[in-house]
Amino acid sequence: MSEAMNEMQTLYEERRLRIEKTIALEPVDRIPTAYMGMAFAPRYMGMPIADFCEVPENRTEVTLAAMDKLGADVWDGINALPCGRIVPSLTSAWLSHIAAPGRELPEDSLWQVQESDVMKPEDYDVILDKGWPEFLEGYYPRVIDVDELKESNIWVSKNLQSVKDKCREHGYVPISFGGTSIPFEYLCGGRSMSRFYIDLYRIKDKIKEVMDHMMPYMIREGIHTAEVSGIPAVWVGGWRSASSLIAPKIWDEMVFPYFIELTHALADKGIVSVLHFDQDWNRDLERFKELPAKMCLLNTDGMTDLRKVKEILGDHMAVIGDVPSALLYSGTPDDIFKYVHDLIRDVGPTGLILCPGCDAPINAKPENMEAMAAASREYSQVV
Amino acid sequence: MLEQLIKALAELEEDQVLEIVRQELVGGTEALAILQACQQGMTEVGDRFEKKEYFVSDLMMSGEIFKQVGVILEPGLQSATQVCAGAVVIGTVQGDIHDIGKDIVVNMLKSANLDVTDLGVDVPPVQFVDALKQTKASVLGMSGLLTLAFDSMKETVGLIEEAGLRDKVRIMIGGGPVDGGVCRVVGADDWGADAQAAVRLAKTWLDIGVQA
Repeated sequence: MSEAMNEMQTLYEERRLRIEKTIALEPVDRIPTAYMGMAFAPRYMGMPIADFCEVPENRTEVTLAAMDKLGADVWDGINALPCGRIVPSLTSAWLSHIAAPGRELPEDSLWQVQESDVMKPEDYDVILDKGWPEFLEGYYPRVIDVDELKESNIWVSKNLQSVKDKCREHGYVPISFGGTSIPFEYLCGGRSMSRFYIDLYRIKDKIKEVMDHMMPYMIREGIHTAEVSGIPAVWVGGWRSASSLIAPKIWDEMVFPYFIELTHALADKGIVSVLHFDQDWNRDLERFKELPAKMCLLNTDGMTDLRKVKEILGDHMAVIGDVPSALLYSGTPDDIFKYVHDLIRDVGPTGLILCPGCDAPINAKPENMEAMAAASREYSQVV
Repeated sequence: MLEQLIKALAELEEDQVLEIVRQELVGGTEALAILQACQQGMTEVGDRFEKKEYFVSDLMMSGEIFKQVGVILEPGLQSATQVCAGAVVIGTVQGDIHDIGKDIVVNMLKSANLDVTDLGVDVPPVQFVDALKQTKASVLGMSGLLTLAFDSMKETVGLIEEAGLRDKVRIMIGGGPVDGGVCRVVGADDWGADAQAAVRLAKTWLDIGVQA
């Protein structure tokens, strides 16, 4: 092994350890910084979004190249391993058809979830009668070409290790790979948000029965993903189940007990849950104490108050975030510097990984992303 | 009985609301009076949302109930004349196909007795301008969930200026990532974090009274 490669290995291990300590709420020499900007990377590097979506190798190469260009010295890691085609993987997570660039949408536009009630009320009975995996087998053709989905999964299986190796060569630690969620999110994606929310008022007991049936599969998916990748952390998605969206009487019964069960089951296997929680969860932060201590990484998008998180959960879980998408679009480099400075001052120095909130958007100003990298250089050192 | 209807809607008691509406119609109550009672119930829902007693799911459920009431009352309302308190044009801007937030706002605006022209999703700037000209609406709402929507919002505001309508229209924007900074960049007059904020803005601009 060359000296340069040796140095990179050492750097990678330093960064890995820094991230690990942060999640465990231990002191660190520097607040780690992670990249997250799926669609920003190709736009920044001048690649049409369709090419980025269609060719899986492009996703890996362009993401790593964007990170290098923004500042190879800055990034300790990347929020999720950039492995595989985005549209099939989003389809599996949302159970919705995803409109793709170069297909339904212009070449250089962003993919978008097509919100509609593809899943019908009678499907609840099908899930209960036939089982979740059997239901999915019949369901997928409604939202994606099944051959395409299979090919995509095969590509990931074959190339997972090489993508991990590429990240290592660049010195970037993939914080998580793959994902799972609670039954609520899958059903909500399939039924559409408006229909599913109304189902929750009309046929709550039936849905609860379906969720209880689905839950072991969600747990199994999370464990399986981590075992296959060897990365001991998975995304646990929370989008439409956010506190600000759901009435407490529903949330207390249909949302949070499932997050508790899922995160504890993963923690029992040594797997960290990266709680990718979009929207505003402030109302229920006290309840997060019921999630496994030091085995969750709260990944918010700027809408949940991280100062409040620090106050309530500072000795319970670390956070990753949360430079907001809107600020990356509309702000100035000075705004970004101030945001990062204040975030580190108020939420650091332990238990914080600096990262764009949710995902740096496709039209984030390049100078703002560069400012985030520069602000990390300036402020992340722990004195 | 209409008091019960207001309460039932405010409590999101779907079956009870529909039953009372049917009973009232059979009993000879005018459709317009029943609708106005339901609008009061929806106002109560909005108030509870502002007080953080209700959440988005509650707004959606109330909208669903209100929609069903509208279907039941429709034949009786055709002969009635209800003067709307003002006109609003609304849509999700070009390049964005998300309609959930926009639809909640549309329901809440309608239940506030406003004449709403809903242009749907992925609406090009020129379509907003045409709709404003046709309806003479003085309030425009633009929605978008993606940050990409911000460019379209800005373009739309620009086209409204070019068409000479800017001083005749108050523009509000909303959607997941929208904030004051985005509002400034886009050139809108104000922004709303939720559906009730949109109703409040529209009512204020149309000068039709907002409860403190």
